[in-house]
Amino acid sequence: MNESLISYLSQFEGHQAFVKMASEMAGTDLTSTISFMIYLAAVLAVVGVMATIGGLGTYAERKISADLQARQGPNRVGPFGLLQMLADGVKMILKEDIIPRDADKFMFVIAPLLCIVGVFGSLAVVPFSSGFILTDLNVGVFYLLGISSLVGVGIFIGGYSSNSKWSMLGGMRGASQIISYEIPVTLSIIMIVLIAGGMSFGTLISGQGGFPHQWYLFHNPFTFIGFFVYFIGALAETNRAPFDLPEAESELVSGYHTEYTGMRFAFFALAEYIEVFVVCGVAVALFLGGYKVPFDLGNGEAFSALPPIIGKNIGQFLQLGSFFTKTLALYYVVIWIRWTLPRLRVDQLMTLCWKYLTPIALFNLLMVAVWVYAFEGQSMFELFSSMGSGSSGGH
Amino acid sequence: MFDSVLFISSAVLVLVGSLGVLFIKENLMHACVSLLTALFGVAGLYATLGADFLAATQLVVYVGGVVILMLFGIMLTGGGTSNENKFGIEKVPGMGSVKTYIVAGVNVLVISLIVIRIMANVMKDYKAVPLPPYESTVEKLGTLLVTDHVLAFEISSILLLGALVGAAIIARPTRRTN
Repeated sequence: MNESLISYLSQFEGHQAFVKMASEMAGTDLTSTISFMIYLAAVLAVVGVMATIGGLGTYAERKISADLQARQGPNRVGPFGLLQMLADGVKMILKEDIIPRDADKFMFVIAPLLCIVGVFGSLAVVPFSSGFILTDLNVGVFYLLGISSLVGVGIFIGGYSSNSKWSMLGGMRGASQIISYEIPVTLSIIMIVLIAGGMSFGTLISGQGGFPHQWYLFHNPFTFIGFFVYFIGALAETNRAPFDLPEAESELVSGYHTEYTGMRFAFFALAEYIEVFVVCGVAVALFLGGYKVPFDLGNGEAFSALPPIIGKNIGQFLQLGSFFTKTLALYYVVIWIRWTLPRLRVDQLMTLCWKYLTPIALFNLLMVAVWVYAFEGQSMFELFSSMGSGSSGGH
Repeated sequence: MFDSVLFISSAVLVLVGSLGVLFIKENLMHACVSLLTALFGVAGLYATLGADFLAATQLVVYVGGVVILMLFGIMLTGGGTSNENKFGIEKVPGMGSVKTYIVAGVNVLVISLIVIRIMANVMKDYKAVPLPPYESTVEKLGTLLVTDHVLAFEISSILLLGALVGAAIIARPTRRTN
């Protein structure tokens, strides 16, 4: 089977002993039942933490935008306004749930669900640390691309079913934008897959190291360009400014979710904020070394003086810290860009995608293939160091 | 147990979705959404059989591409229109002539014979065997695609290139000759 949380846990004697004891007490083999319970707990934890991060994303967005515009931002509810998120949540739940009379009821109801299912489904392969990944599929990145395209369907159906011109235009813009920008994003991802030689996140990250010069970002000049192509495309796929045309408030009121109220609206917002986290996490995993910690502290061998269960778990926490630090730093950049750059026009959006990003991504892919073939997959720094040792007369 | 849970839920999704495609008449959009359900279920069935790459491809191609294109097409051509004409009489769309019925009948006969012939072998030798142990299919697929099946691979890429060029020609603004 794939590497997963269970295979990480089952290397400890405590886990094995517990499974054995429970099986003996129940009289049957409980291995799969216990695995299922652990999975359930882990999935609930991931969904809870991610929903909190999505909620805190709205808070961060307001605070950072206030900071950039020399304002205060939310500061009334709780310390530094941190409980604003809870207040918003309570407000959302208590709002009247309105379905417009002429709306297509069935589609109106399932649209936010499709969005949230697509985003939560993609969390299954996000590598939080080498042990804490729900499942490390062999087709990890590919699966993530597929399942997150449900978000596009959800946005389109939301816009269509509201039976309102603004929503309709927003939904159309959203869907066309998402399917267009999927191409440069996918090509940039394929580029990294080519270097790493695998599509599972485990393979992708294990080719990198803890230090920046071991990241795929600095593997060669083309991956460096490819990172920016990926990042711009990811911004557009998550409908973030400067690509927030589907919800451009000056033209479309608020785009595809104009007619939504209460929790249905909150689902759309939550899906957007969690998707931003997911694409930032994927950028970190692909280009910025993922959960790797410098000096290989992450695999716990540096703590061999401690009992293995403690040492390993210290390593895991370091990896979690590394992953979340990088991802949240990118998250900050996303918000920063939103409040800095003006919005593009529709034709500029399509020109950027089809005339600039896609050719650049194709060229990058080709050149990375040539690089991998010519230098046998060595990075720039490995080449420099081998050149250095060669000229010093070592051979 | 995981396998049977996955299989049953995927099979239910496929059944519900395909029955929806058949029996939802008044709104094409709803039929399209139930097609989405069915295609999602098919991806689940592939995953049950251990074909991980095929399952992910099903998601990328059908859920991400085909269904969105269908939704676009239905929306732009007005899928929700009623069957009544301007006098309030229900229109029955023309169902073809004697010729089309004969051609369709022969087709059904031939295809069902072929399907029955294929199914007969499967049914006769059917034995419930456990699934082989799970192994990744990605590497094998990749190797086969650029070694044994490289011709099919290249031909399909030419097909896609042709489609791309055709789309560019259709979408290009028409040149004024005068």
